[in-house]
Amino acid sequence: MAGTIVCDTIQDGAGNSTATDNAIYGSAKAWVRFNSSSGSSCTIQASYNVSSVTYISTGLYTINFTNAFVDTNYILTGSLGTGPGTQAGFFGFADTTNVPTTTSCSVYAVNGSNALANYTRISAAIFR
Amino acid sequence: MSQVIIYQNSNGGVSVCVPTGELPIETVLTKDCPPGAIIVDDATLPQGADSVFFDAWKLNGSTVTVDFPTAQAHKLRDFNAAAVQVAQKRQLNTLAGIANTPDDATFTTELTNGRAAIAAATTTAQLVAIANPV
Repeated sequence: MAGTIVCDTIQDGAGNSTATDNAIYGSAKAWVRFNSSSGSSCTIQASYNVSSVTYISTGLYTINFTNAFVDTNYILTGSLGTGPGTQAGFFGFADTTNVPTTTSCSVYAVNGSNALANYTRISAAIFR
Repeated sequence: MSQVIIYQNSNGGVSVCVPTGELPIETVLTKDCPPGAIIVDDATLPQGADSVFFDAWKLNGSTVTVDFPTAQAHKLRDFNAAAVQVAQKRQLNTLAGIANTPDDATFTTELTNGRAAIAAATTTAQLVAIANPV
């Protein structure tokens, strides 16, 4: 059943409350975790509001959204992991490849040697 | 058997679009991929050592193959990048008065042999088997 609840505050059974804005603006509007270490493809492990991940080249991916954002002023946060003994990396927008649009954004993963690299666990979350 | 979408990208390589399952793959094909993209079983994509050289993949019709000279060039690039890293560490060791292992002559020989092995390789499995300097 479709419907709308309009309220300024949300409260749980224990009396803990928060402004509704916190739930609206503080929740990730899209997220995905995938494994790109297999070499040939990405394995999607879990997602929300992400229709696909495109593997472009080593360490370079495009995240496509199921439902478009209202604009491109969203923020990206994420993390990389491979396993014990491996280098930490850096993850961010790959603007030079594809400026973020309302329907997708390209991201890159760089290892500690400043080279594009694939990782076992790439986690990305987008907030707006 | 899972399916993915492939197409030739603007870099001349092959992009692989993996649906999350939130939408039917046919919808993803039209929504997330350029015209000309095709749906394939992922088992038909290069496997094993060939999959390591993703950046050397080429799309011929609906078949993806590895361009071996490109794979060879990428292996040499990665080998040399690793060699630079190791050489820098060895230089710091020398400045700090720490003996390098192996010695310089052996290290140089290992680099020479590694590059020769890359040049002589005829398969991606052989390229994968060549260890980068550590």
